[in-house]
Amino acid sequence: MKTQFFVAKFDQKLQERWGEVMEEKKQCKGCGGALPFVIGFVAAVIAGWVLFPDLIYSKKTQPVRFSHKIHQEQGMECSSCHTFREDGSYAGIPTNEKCAECHADIVGSDPAEKVYVEQYAQKGKEVPWLIYQYQPDNVIFSHKAHESLECTSCHPDMAKNDTPPVYYENRLSGYSKQTMKMWKCERCHAENGVSNACHVCHK
Amino acid sequence: MGLDRRGFVKIVMGGVAGTLFTPVIWQGLDDTSIWSQNWGWIPRLNKGEVKATSALSKLCPAGCAVKVKTVGGLPFAVVGNKDNTMSKGGVCPVCAGGAQLMYSPARVKSPMKKVGEGKYEAIKWEDAEALLLEKLTPLKGQEGKIAAISGDETGTANEVLSALLAGLGSSAFYVMPGEMFTAGKGVKLMGGSGQPGFDIEGADLVLMVGADALDSWGTTVANQKAFAAARPTGKEAAAQYVYAGPILNNTASVCDKFVPVPPTATAAFCLALANALINAGAVSSASDFAEYKALAAKFTAEEFEKTTGLKPEVLADLVARFKAAKAPLVIAGASFGQGAGALDFVAAASLNVLLGRVGQKGGMTLLPAAPKAIATATDRENAKDAASFLASVATGKATPGALLIYEANPAFALPQPAEMAKAMGNIAFKVSFSTYMDETAALADLILPAPHPYERYDDAMNPYGVAKPTYLAGKPVVAKPVMDCKDPMDVLLAAAGKLGLSLGAETYADAVKAKAKAVGADFDALAAGGAWTGEPKSGSLNLGAAALAKAPSAKLDDKTVAFAPVTKLAYGTANLATPPANTLVVRDTELLGKDLFVQMNAATAKKLGVANGAKVKLTAGSGEVKALVHVNEGVAAGTAAMLLGFGHSAWDEYTKGKGDNIYKILTVSDEAGTGLKVWAGSTVTVAKI
Repeated sequence: MKTQFFVAKFDQKLQERWGEVMEEKKQCKGCGGALPFVIGFVAAVIAGWVLFPDLIYSKKTQPVRFSHKIHQEQGMECSSCHTFREDGSYAGIPTNEKCAECHADIVGSDPAEKVYVEQYAQKGKEVPWLIYQYQPDNVIFSHKAHESLECTSCHPDMAKNDTPPVYYENRLSGYSKQTMKMWKCERCHAENGVSNACHVCHK
Repeated sequence: MGLDRRGFVKIVMGGVAGTLFTPVIWQGLDDTSIWSQNWGWIPRLNKGEVKATSALSKLCPAGCAVKVKTVGGLPFAVVGNKDNTMSKGGVCPVCAGGAQLMYSPARVKSPMKKVGEGKYEAIKWEDAEALLLEKLTPLKGQEGKIAAISGDETGTANEVLSALLAGLGSSAFYVMPGEMFTAGKGVKLMGGSGQPGFDIEGADLVLMVGADALDSWGTTVANQKAFAAARPTGKEAAAQYVYAGPILNNTASVCDKFVPVPPTATAAFCLALANALINAGAVSSASDFAEYKALAAKFTAEEFEKTTGLKPEVLADLVARFKAAKAPLVIAGASFGQGAGALDFVAAASLNVLLGRVGQKGGMTLLPAAPKAIATATDRENAKDAASFLASVATGKATPGALLIYEANPAFALPQPAEMAKAMGNIAFKVSFSTYMDETAALADLILPAPHPYERYDDAMNPYGVAKPTYLAGKPVVAKPVMDCKDPMDVLLAAAGKLGLSLGAETYADAVKAKAKAVGADFDALAAGGAWTGEPKSGSLNLGAAALAKAPSAKLDDKTVAFAPVTKLAYGTANLATPPANTLVVRDTELLGKDLFVQMNAATAKKLGVANGAKVKLTAGSGEVKALVHVNEGVAAGTAAMLLGFGHSAWDEYTKGKGDNIYKILTVSDEAGTGLKVWAGSTVTVAKI
């Protein structure tokens, strides 16, 4: 008897709720159809392509406004500063030792040079340059093995650059936006018939 | 048109669907995976140019001429220097870990002042130097009130220290015990003067009596190179090597013959061999030959068997080897590099005199006193030993008000270290100039961090064992020390200036350069990895018969055995605990967990009533050490051997509390005839627990 009573009570409650739902449905007729979905979709697409890149990367500027253009106009080559060492390893960005060959003292009138000489060279402090294409420690990249390629095959052409480009740092990974991903390495290797075995780059 | 719940849900669904067509999720996942590989605690490589810079690595007692490999200016590895005539590309197991030791957790990071029992606070250098000056100033001009202990055998720092003390009116300059000290005394007993040298390279038979020459004695790396050159792979050996000592150690294991001689029977072994050689026709023109011959005659084959436990055939074999050799050499030394009496040295060195090998190629040489950089410094020959000094402090005979401790760890590396530490407690102001937080630094009132060898100027004059006068020097490899440290000698030279003294050098670099100039060497060439060598002096020695007549013999009972401390350079030195990387090579039969092993042969174990693996207690004097028994047939008869250098109470997690410090059971006695404090040849009582 007790069970029948509860079943009847539950059935009554269900009927009432169903009625409310049908009522809401009647009231909602014509309140958007697929439009809200489309709005949400478009908004997300715009946010994902337009806002997200700005949010995920922070913008940083180099500690010294280094002008590649001025140095190139002096007749310098990329290899004048970005040299290979005697052991074949690549020096990358030059240290004070190299820069101070010309800039131990102020030689021009550019305020950026003054910043470099006074704040770094004369204090014996290395400039904490932001490396656009910094690779993690587990990547062993040999510039010597890629010497036959043009620098601009992988790096942006900096020769005409008067102000260093903005450095976009990924807020999550900490790497630069320009850091070359593994798939790019693999694609080039594959296209040129070079092995893509793990040990080629990861020792 | 309002936005109801249903409409909101539709927008969200649309947003989720739209997001799938943007980089948000895909790049987010990719970036998250990269982020997860870059935790803050993962070490980062220091990128930059890889260089190899010459350096003098004085982590081992002899000092290795090495190349320190750096990347972007930071050391990361040490390799041998092939251009150096001493090390010839070799490197000892301590210096091999030199780069890692720069970053050791045991390093003293900044000046520290004691503020309570076992409590220190970091202070600024100017405050530390002011405190040092404040404590030294009232003691100026009082003999013995300012004392110094040096653990550096070869550096010009000793000249700075002793000259500073002399300038302040004190002659209390002491050195930690080493072979160099006792050998110098031994040479005097043989009527000579100067530091003895041993031309291993030129010998065709090398008998090492106690001296662990291929592992921990003398210029180990140079000795190993000489050994390797004389025994080229696949070719006939040009020299034979024989080791006579208490245990089949690393040296003995590569020799042609190992003669197990108990540490209490070193002199008896040598005199028995002398007797056998004389019987085989050896004669000497030394003035005391007759006396020596009569003394040696007492050490008959029977006496030899009784004192060493060896059969007389061993003597016959050795005599045959000596007779066949054209350039034999006997090297005298304690099996653990210190604590031997001068008489043990005389007994072994007298064999060189007997065989006419003094001053000969491949023989024993005498080195002239090196010119000094600071005229008022104490001559090395006149150095006094730190063990005697601390014994005097304990009894109140010496009452210094300040003690300067340089590169020494007397609270660990002297016999009965608890007594030594207690004696140090009688000194009101103790300054430890130390790179690492060792047991002595932990007792000091002021700890002044010293630079690591690759962060400082330093030199090494005549490392013990070299056959010719030899001088090495080095300068810092790095531009800036890893810790906030200053060269101890720079600190003391600055203090000297403020106390009104002029020692002729403002910095230690000046003193080292002055030393190089005095020696006649080019400092720059030395700093670039070179070595300066001179010529040994001429002069002869007698056989030391008068001194040897007083040589004592140990009395052993059923529960007492000769005690042989064993050193392995890889496990550290008197000044350095086992480098972390080297803990991997400590065997399970040497240290198991925190238990050290005592090694003895089966006959000795049977005599003592102990079995392999048994836990025993070794006692001597007021000291006691617990250990596990390891039965090893490579140990001499009636001898218990244990490794030295364990049981630290300071240092780092890699060494602290591992094993026990066997200095606790080394007993000091006064050597008859010389008055030297000796502890090689100690005896211990072994009991099962």
